[in-house]
Amino acid sequence: MAPDSIKRSGGVSRPWTSLRKLIQALALLAFLVLFVVTRGETPGSTTNIFLRLDPLLALVNLLATKALVAGSAVALITVALTFLTGRSWCGWLCPLGTILDWIPLHRWKKGKWTPGEGWRGVKYALLLLTLFAALLGGLTLLIFDPLTILTRGLAVGVWPALDKLVTAAETALYQLPALRAPVLEVDALLRPLILPPTPGASRSAALFAGLLIGVVLLNIFAERFWCRYLCPLGALLGLMSKVALLRRRIEPGCVGCKLCTDTCPMGTINPAEDYASDPGECTMCLECLDDCPLGATTFTPVFSVDPLRAYDPGRRQVLITLGAALGGMALVRSVDAELQHPFALRPPGADPEEFYSQCVRCGQCMRACPTAALQPALTEAGIEGFWTPVLIPRIGYCDYGCNACGQVCPVEAIPPLPLELKQQQVIGRAKIDKNRCLPWAEEQDCIVCEEMCPLPEKAIELELVEVQLPTGETRILQRPVVIHDLCIGCGICEYKCPIAGEAAIRVYSSCSGGGGQGGGQGGGQGRRRGE
Amino acid sequence: MENQTRRAFLQWMAIQMSAFFGGSLLASCGKQEPHSLQTTALPIAKPIQPTEVDPTGAPTQSEQATAEPSATPNSHPHIAVARGGEPEALVRHAVAALGGMERFVSTGNDVIIKPNVCVDFRTYEYAATTNPWVVGEIVRMCLEAGAGRVRVMDFPFGGDSESAYWNSGIQEQVLAAGGEMEPIRFLKFVETEIPNALDLKKCQIYEDVLLADVVINVPIAKHHSLARLTLGMKNLMGVIRDRPYMHGNLGQRLADLTSRVRPALTIVDAVRILQRGGPGGGRLSDVQKLDTVIASSDIVAADSYAATLFGLQPTDLSYIVSGLNMGLGRADLETMKIEDIAVGA
Repeated sequence: MAPDSIKRSGGVSRPWTSLRKLIQALALLAFLVLFVVTRGETPGSTTNIFLRLDPLLALVNLLATKALVAGSAVALITVALTFLTGRSWCGWLCPLGTILDWIPLHRWKKGKWTPGEGWRGVKYALLLLTLFAALLGGLTLLIFDPLTILTRGLAVGVWPALDKLVTAAETALYQLPALRAPVLEVDALLRPLILPPTPGASRSAALFAGLLIGVVLLNIFAERFWCRYLCPLGALLGLMSKVALLRRRIEPGCVGCKLCTDTCPMGTINPAEDYASDPGECTMCLECLDDCPLGATTFTPVFSVDPLRAYDPGRRQVLITLGAALGGMALVRSVDAELQHPFALRPPGADPEEFYSQCVRCGQCMRACPTAALQPALTEAGIEGFWTPVLIPRIGYCDYGCNACGQVCPVEAIPPLPLELKQQQVIGRAKIDKNRCLPWAEEQDCIVCEEMCPLPEKAIELELVEVQLPTGETRILQRPVVIHDLCIGCGICEYKCPIAGEAAIRVYSSCSGGGGQGGGQGGGQGRRRGE
Repeated sequence: MENQTRRAFLQWMAIQMSAFFGGSLLASCGKQEPHSLQTTALPIAKPIQPTEVDPTGAPTQSEQATAEPSATPNSHPHIAVARGGEPEALVRHAVAALGGMERFVSTGNDVIIKPNVCVDFRTYEYAATTNPWVVGEIVRMCLEAGAGRVRVMDFPFGGDSESAYWNSGIQEQVLAAGGEMEPIRFLKFVETEIPNALDLKKCQIYEDVLLADVVINVPIAKHHSLARLTLGMKNLMGVIRDRPYMHGNLGQRLADLTSRVRPALTIVDAVRILQRGGPGGGRLSDVQKLDTVIASSDIVAADSYAATLFGLQPTDLSYIVSGLNMGLGRADLETMKIEDIAVGA
């Protein structure tokens, strides 16, 4: 029982909590700034630093590719931090965790349902499933990594919506003559760095923002619901934290006032166990340290392995998730990806076949792509390629003068190619639909695809033909023809094709015939500026 | 009592709503006014100054408001062609022969220069984009003539304007000359009527081009598979938003667009010309170095002369034919006065 005399010391002096909140705010700010400047001149190895700090992405990529990416070594910082101080990443640095802290929906809670302790096991199951699937080459479950949820949710969910809102507001206000100058000034601040230079297209933004919003809404049921019960990165760090050096301890002075139990955002301080907590759950937020009126809560070095809890993964969970991973991958792989996915157009330089087991589904390339050509695959690449980047030429084309996606990829699934090499990568090959193409089907003049082709030796030629018009007169018509071996599949022809709806020229995956030469040569440079 | 307040509330709402929507309506009327003014009060391009009156007494302002006085020994040439020298010298000599930049730009003028910066992945050597030193020198000459503000703009089809300005090398020369680059703002494309158009009756045109005191058109002469050549009139495609649409009836639609934009001066950059593979180019073997600059206040005449550099007749180009039909200029190279200047290296 809590003695009446003991009161929460709230508002008086909470030095640790204040420090943590400051660092959280700075980390989130840094994340957002780096996210924004991903489309700009800042080197990709700087803008993707948060993704490279994520040990789950690095580990899963390592398991799937059986090869080390040098840049992923940055994740060792987080690993070291975790072995020293437990899940402090979650409490102090994770940008998604900070957002969840800042939106305390649990205060609205009306119903009685509270997830049981067993729910904490879900994140371990998800982690094991992710790791086993990775061993088999499947990375689809990384769509649930917190940093990919946030990066992708912002890049292809929140940002397109923001663009729509800003564009609508700008267009409306621009109608008022008095507001033109200020609207243009605001527009100059926003574009092209923060928003695309001309309002961009996107698809299924609601879906990608939806996952992010869903994670936030789970806060209704419990504080940091995502971090407690679901986050696979939290699970990985939690397992490491079982042997972390710095751990929470209760000194003999504790009188059982329960203040710490009530205040713990992870709900892991258990009165039934003498107010001990699970270091695999504790995010080192230090609220309890500041709260304890008697100084009975301490964080001290401990050299031992913390006992496993009921929800921690045991042999049975390992076997079940292994079986599920095997079965799942077999089901997913039972379809021949190559034959089924003619529109799985991969970013330039990416190996279309290896890409499934290299890409960590983070969406960083989609943020970097200046034409919004890269979008998360929905059906284009099958279940195994769900939410991997694919080029959707009707939305945007691969700019011949840009190599941004390869520079920002945290695991080099898109190799960081210098521009000259990137310009030789085959993304796919264009084919003309002669039943729809204006000069072919309707004998009208149109050379847009040939005109737009950026290659020094154009991959689209114009055939001269004499056609007889219904009126009886004859005329010379130019008809576009694709030279298969020259085409790199940048898609600008499909993007600019003036036919309404689906273009009369489309880029098809080059997987089946010839294929793009993958394999990266390092030493990339940023988006080219001048010579 | 409660009914009363509800009614009062509804009345109040009605008044507020009508005030709000009325206000918006008024505001939108205010918005249309300058635009409709622009579309009816046509001459944006600076008219030829009265000092250029033809001493033979022929009327200078014809019905078409286009045909310049026919060339006589006392007037400026209809076309000036400068050959053989550095790009800056070529531009300077060609414009000087036309009477100097002061003939086109007055003190305080807002000048828009429209080079061809069609893509963001070619440097000037490939002759896909206008020579940076040609553009820079024009900026300098405009400022010397007293221009208040000189901006350079194009709306590339490959890449965004800012990277194209930089990668083409044009930005560096323009800034060094004291000009500004105008990054394309999508808001500034305004639906504009083209009163004299035969086909393209409406089009989204970049409003700065319509509002500027002087527009100087600086195409690079290069190959194009549908238009055959990209010259002055074709270069104006870069001031509108929906370009694929233009290809349906390209010659006429370009003439229609020209009838609305009316550049005061067209300076064709033929320092390097692109013989094949336009508009993007990319092979130096397709580039021919001619060290030539053509200048004329008559866009049709400038294009007509430039066509001959490729061994074509002016009437081989559909937009020149349409431009002649609409009275936008002349193509009779045999009869008009052409000053050919050998600049020397």
